[in-house]
Amino acid sequence: MNTFLKRIYSWVDERVEIKGLVDYMGKKYVPVHRHSVWYYFGGVSLFLFIIQVVTGILLLLYYKSGEELAFESINFIMSKVQFGWLIRSVHSWTANLFILSAMIHMFSVFFEKAYRKPREITWITGMLMFFLLLGFGFSGYLLPWNELAFFATKVGTDIAGIVPIVGKPMLVFLRGGDEVTGATLSRFFGFHVAVLPGLFTVFLGIHLLLVQRQGMSEPLHIKEESKRKSMPFFPNFILRDLTLWLLVLNLLAILAVFFPWELGKKADPFAPAPAGIKPEWYFLYMFQTLKYIPGKLWFLDGEVLGILLFGIAGVLWTVVPFWDYKSSRGEQNRLVNYLGLFAVMYIILFTVIGWLA
Amino acid sequence: MKNSILSIAAAILVALAPKEYAFAKDNCIECHQTTGDKPSELFKHDIHYQKGISCADCHGGNSNAEDMEQAMDKKTGYIGVPKGDDISKACAACHSSLEKMKSFGSSLPTNQWEFLQTSVHAKLSLKGKEHIVQCVTCHNAHGIVSVKNPSSPVYPLNVVKTCTRCHADIALMRSYNPSLPVDQLEKYRTSVHGMRNAKGDAKTAACANCHGSHDIRTAKDVKSKVYASNLPGTCATCHSNVEYMKPYKIPTDQYEKYAKSVHGIALLQKHDQGAPACNSCHGNHGAMPPGVESISKVCGTCHALNADLFSSSPHKKAFDDRKLPECETCHSNHEIIAATDKLLGVTPEAVCSRCHDEHQNVKGYLVAKTMRGLIDSLELREQGAQKLVNEAEQKGMEISEAKFKLRDVRQARLQSRTMVHAFSEGKFKEVVDNGIKISALIAEESQSAIHEYYFRRFGLVIATCIITLLALSLFLYVRRLERRQKQL
Repeated sequence: MNTFLKRIYSWVDERVEIKGLVDYMGKKYVPVHRHSVWYYFGGVSLFLFIIQVVTGILLLLYYKSGEELAFESINFIMSKVQFGWLIRSVHSWTANLFILSAMIHMFSVFFEKAYRKPREITWITGMLMFFLLLGFGFSGYLLPWNELAFFATKVGTDIAGIVPIVGKPMLVFLRGGDEVTGATLSRFFGFHVAVLPGLFTVFLGIHLLLVQRQGMSEPLHIKEESKRKSMPFFPNFILRDLTLWLLVLNLLAILAVFFPWELGKKADPFAPAPAGIKPEWYFLYMFQTLKYIPGKLWFLDGEVLGILLFGIAGVLWTVVPFWDYKSSRGEQNRLVNYLGLFAVMYIILFTVIGWLA
Repeated sequence: MKNSILSIAAAILVALAPKEYAFAKDNCIECHQTTGDKPSELFKHDIHYQKGISCADCHGGNSNAEDMEQAMDKKTGYIGVPKGDDISKACAACHSSLEKMKSFGSSLPTNQWEFLQTSVHAKLSLKGKEHIVQCVTCHNAHGIVSVKNPSSPVYPLNVVKTCTRCHADIALMRSYNPSLPVDQLEKYRTSVHGMRNAKGDAKTAACANCHGSHDIRTAKDVKSKVYASNLPGTCATCHSNVEYMKPYKIPTDQYEKYAKSVHGIALLQKHDQGAPACNSCHGNHGAMPPGVESISKVCGTCHALNADLFSSSPHKKAFDDRKLPECETCHSNHEIIAATDKLLGVTPEAVCSRCHDEHQNVKGYLVAKTMRGLIDSLELREQGAQKLVNEAEQKGMEISEAKFKLRDVRQARLQSRTMVHAFSEGKFKEVVDNGIKISALIAEESQSAIHEYYFRRFGLVIATCIITLLALSLFLYVRRLERRQKQL
């Protein structure tokens, strides 16, 4: 380190005592094994979050919320603002890659049983961030106020309204009334740029703090100390992470240039819904499932039953560290593996069916 | 009044009478005549009486009975004067039966009652219990004669008067259709049809020829003979009939020409009910060919701007002096084809060259040549701009604004076609220049979007190379670092 940097470091350390933290970081090691590759998806997700924050702030400089302005402002960004097309396309593509990367990260943690004691809070905060991420996707989709977004939001909030007891108030709360209007747009804008980022940052802070504090989890099958390998977190893991981030950045640039995110037609609340309206791919498996459930099952409404089942599955998934005792004891739990496999297969199958339908 | 009702009933019941009564002594008439009863007097000249139908056939009772009470005994089926729809039903009892009509040796159609019920006259009258019109309203009750008989109220020369008994009655028409004019007869008398009709020409169109007789429907009814898209066919029934029109010595190809015209295609093929039919130019009840002086006014009803521009153009005086019909001279009358740019200029197909050439009316020749050059140039610019917009759009560029501006160019072209009618090079150039200016702007925006497209790809290549190089350097650095760490 050159003298100047050393002086800065000493100046800061003198005041906030960071030496302990730096020493700790320097001694931190990341396990190396045949599943180590999955560790990188946490980092990729973090990188995509950073991109979202940066591009989101840039979009905010020109975006105007409101029924009469939203579509026009995005159009302006896409056609008039220097590199506006790039920022918007990167933001939209990143949103999708972020959810994909977070999903991969979640399933890898699940299959590696990394949620087991003592990392229950890390898992819970991760799951909460994942739900917030879906919220980001849902609220952000409406912001351009185009035809597809308008009707997808209508269908999405309609489904939310089916939930027994809380459904109707929730629908009114989400829409800011009975229908999807400018009030819904203002509300979703508020959620997207203030409420969700605020909550997400809190959970992300806890999540990252715990990851640093507890280190990366090792898979259950590596029991013998002699077989354990590791690499320094800094600089090895960080530099590898950075290499992957650069490749992801490349992918984003290619997607944004070759497949710019289209704006479509402006939403017209009085126009009929376009044929074959579908939600974004990450909600597609749920949407497709609800289509297959019969209207009435026993005494329950089919859609209500579907939503309840997804709700229960989501809760059970989130609290897995508290019912998977075997993994916490360091034993193999095949049932959890089968459940995870079933969930992956189910999501892929129904997403593909929904996509092709 | 009472007598006339009795007479109506008598006439109707004639039709109901069994055949065995025919030619038997009719005591009803014998008796009623002695009282000076008018219906019985009229009935003696009635076609029904001549066919052997008696009073009792419509009114019931026994016309053979000597005693009045016996003849008008309700037990023998005497019904007196039928009221409301019963009147028409009594007529229909025979007139809707092919067998009965044949038995009287009649070849009349038997669908009158059926048609009447579908007509506008079948609406409920103010009383709300019966149709507005009954058979006797037009045909009378007693003294009914064949429609071919000049004394019939529905004979072509009389039918106008028969219809206007109600249709010229302001109070009555207000009760049923306040928006319907009541001056049809007045207008009709000013028309060629009306004037000939008044002179005793029974072949010319009267009310029933255009509106139908029993199946008259409102002009807004798609099945009406005078509904916009049916009207040319209705007029053509006579006007395209060479034999029928022979005595009038006028052409019979109007419909054929009209059907090929821009107006005919719009109305008959594209079903644009706003497109002009025969009556739009000739009038309906006051139908008359527009004169040389009025033709621009007729066309100007719809093409107002063109007519105004023409009126203030130098051509107005020139046409008036030569007694040339204004619009028709260049656009023809029935066979008006879509006006294209080819009509303008000095080429053989251009209409300007009919009067202007290099040696005669040279000024006009030069102006026409310049104007054609200008409009061709605008068209080329528009096509160029459109091509560039398409290319940019195909490349996935956001070009909606330029695309929207293309409408302005199209508008300028349309405006220039209108401005032709001012026959002023200056005014025309102003409109064309505006279109050319917008085309240039569109072309510039599109080209800039196409450049942007290539710039994005070029930028991507550069950025990807830098990022990949950076990633590769990092990867190699990590490998070297790890090798060094292993050695330690």
